[in-house]
Amino acid sequence: MGTLVLSGVARSFGDVVAVRDVSFTVPAGTTFGLLGPNGAGKTTTMRMILGILLPDRGSVTWDGAPVDLAVRRRFGYLPEERGLYGKLKVREQIAYFGRLHGVMPPNDTKRADAWIERLGLGEYANRPCAELSKGNQQKVQVACAALHEPELLVLDEPFSGLDPVNAETLLGVLQTLQQAGTTLILSSHQMWQIEDLCKAFCVIAGGTVRASGTLQELRSGWPTRIVEIEPQDDALRGVLDATAGARRLPEADRPVLAYEIPAAADTAALLRRLVAAGDVTRFERVDPSLRDIYLRAIGAAA
Amino acid sequence: MNTVGVIFSAEFLRRIKSKAFLVGTIIGAASILLIAILPSILGGALSSSSKKIVLVGDPALTATAKTLLQRDFEITATLRKLDAAPTPAFLDAHGKASAVAILSRPVGDGLHVVAYARDPSAFRESFGTDLAPLQIALATGVPVERVAAHLNVTVDVHDVSGRFADASSADAAKGVAYLFIMMLYLSILLNAQSIMTSVAEEKTSRIAELLVSTLDPARLLTAKILAAAATGFIQLAVWVTAGAVSGRIAASMFPQHDGATASATMLGAFDVSTGEIAAFLAFFVVGFAQYGVLYAAAASLINRTEDLGSVAGPLVVPVVLGIILAQVALQFPNSPNMVICSLIPLISPFVMFTRVAVSDVPAWQLVLSLAINVGTAVLLAWLSGKIYRVGMLLYGRAPSLKQVLATLRA
Repeated sequence: MGTLVLSGVARSFGDVVAVRDVSFTVPAGTTFGLLGPNGAGKTTTMRMILGILLPDRGSVTWDGAPVDLAVRRRFGYLPEERGLYGKLKVREQIAYFGRLHGVMPPNDTKRADAWIERLGLGEYANRPCAELSKGNQQKVQVACAALHEPELLVLDEPFSGLDPVNAETLLGVLQTLQQAGTTLILSSHQMWQIEDLCKAFCVIAGGTVRASGTLQELRSGWPTRIVEIEPQDDALRGVLDATAGARRLPEADRPVLAYEIPAAADTAALLRRLVAAGDVTRFERVDPSLRDIYLRAIGAAA
Repeated sequence: MNTVGVIFSAEFLRRIKSKAFLVGTIIGAASILLIAILPSILGGALSSSSKKIVLVGDPALTATAKTLLQRDFEITATLRKLDAAPTPAFLDAHGKASAVAILSRPVGDGLHVVAYARDPSAFRESFGTDLAPLQIALATGVPVERVAAHLNVTVDVHDVSGRFADASSADAAKGVAYLFIMMLYLSILLNAQSIMTSVAEEKTSRIAELLVSTLDPARLLTAKILAAAATGFIQLAVWVTAGAVSGRIAASMFPQHDGATASATMLGAFDVSTGEIAAFLAFFVVGFAQYGVLYAAAASLINRTEDLGSVAGPLVVPVVLGIILAQVALQFPNSPNMVICSLIPLISPFVMFTRVAVSDVPAWQLVLSLAINVGTAVLLAWLSGKIYRVGMLLYGRAPSLKQVLATLRA
């Protein structure tokens, strides 16, 4: 297992700059979330990791060495848009992609059968992929990407188009791969799905890294905190309004007394002042969610 | 097995099992059988009915004419005169004849023939040729048998190179060459287009991304071309076998039938030399390599399979041009123009093969043509590989010519 390092990679298509300057490190066995709005450069970055595109500038290394063809065969890739041969049967398709990554007969079909069973595709094993639903095609694609037990598996929007049941199945598969020590890089717009799964994140927008690190690291860099207090009492509100740097949040967002305070503010002292002013039944310091961090990083929220 | 082997075997099996391949191969073989046998059957059937005639005229005249015409015609009736112009019913009533020939000898003139036929164009030449001795006999007073004997000139044409025993062997070689050219044309076109469809499918379904992440695009292209060439070989082998078998069938079914001449003689003499087969395979390989990579590169530039026609159209032009020039080369294999055409890439596989099949081509021309074609195939593979590498991952608007040229310069 190796460590993936991107150093100042950039890639343009004619006059369009897709990736301006992206650097991050993914330690071995880490599940890494690549976040960003549409057109941020996530897919281009993933393609550069996989050697599909060559960077105009910068470097991509795996275990300290450039990513060559031999290394790439130990990687797996689940593209955002499904890439399957419509006329090829499910079992043949999965086995074929296994062979492309060096899993030779009879192991290719043995492993294909194991994945078919694991993903509940048994009844479709001998049917052409074009006859499958989008969700089942996605499962086939996952099997194609993971059959050769890759050291690094790159998944571009893996949950896109999946119903909740299939999304849960995929989540289970990814957790199993995670436990097996596979390094995972995945992008998703559904942050709730990857927040628990990923150990580290990188937010990209406009082709540059806006924020990166573990959730803990990202939160520690957050400039404010939110405190939620109950009941909604005028005396308590008066204490909060008098606190330096505190800003009341709209009740519509949180049906409690909610204030944004500077991260450096002394919350223990604030709690003491509130208790002195009235009957506090609930006092909670809320850490920013990944969504909050993401929106601030891409500049969509103040 | 390396990745080229994996892709090759998968592509090969996919092609061999595809309906398009099976249907194309079977229809091709059936067409060759039909080409060989149908004209013989039709020719025989048509000739037997179209060669029945009724002779009308002075008995002395018709008796002599009958002996001369019997070489080509069956005389169903001989009459002194007609009361009215013959009708189809009259012909039916006289042995289902196809024509009535009225012979007369106007004062001061030679023989005069007036014919009424179901198919007027089919009779004039035969009548004129067959009755020429009678005309001369009437004009000179020499007995018709002597005139006929003297008119029968024996002409033996020999091939100066010694390759063909006589003119009919040379004609048969042209027929076989024509068949081979058509097979070359169909095989190159069908298999190059199947590469195009395969590349387009992989691009539009985004499989290309997965493949390119695993292996070098040049290797991917190589594997695809090799797989298509292998299926092309199998297809050609089936067609050539069908040609040989149908030739034997045609020759045995109609051994001496005049109506069977063209196809039965051609395929009956399916006596193809090893050199000819070798040239055929060599020019198939170099021709297919050139067209295969061109079609693959063109397909990599499209974003929808519906656009395949627009990029395939211009690539058909050199193939069709090659076929047209090959027809000319059949007649004039060693004319200076054909020598030049047999050295021009893309069209020379058709023209040079034709020349090899029907004449003795100097070795240096053959070697030069093959060298030019191999060189061009390598150059086109390099250029197409560059276009393919970029084109396969180029989505959205179709690239302009300027962008394609920029890709080649990069």
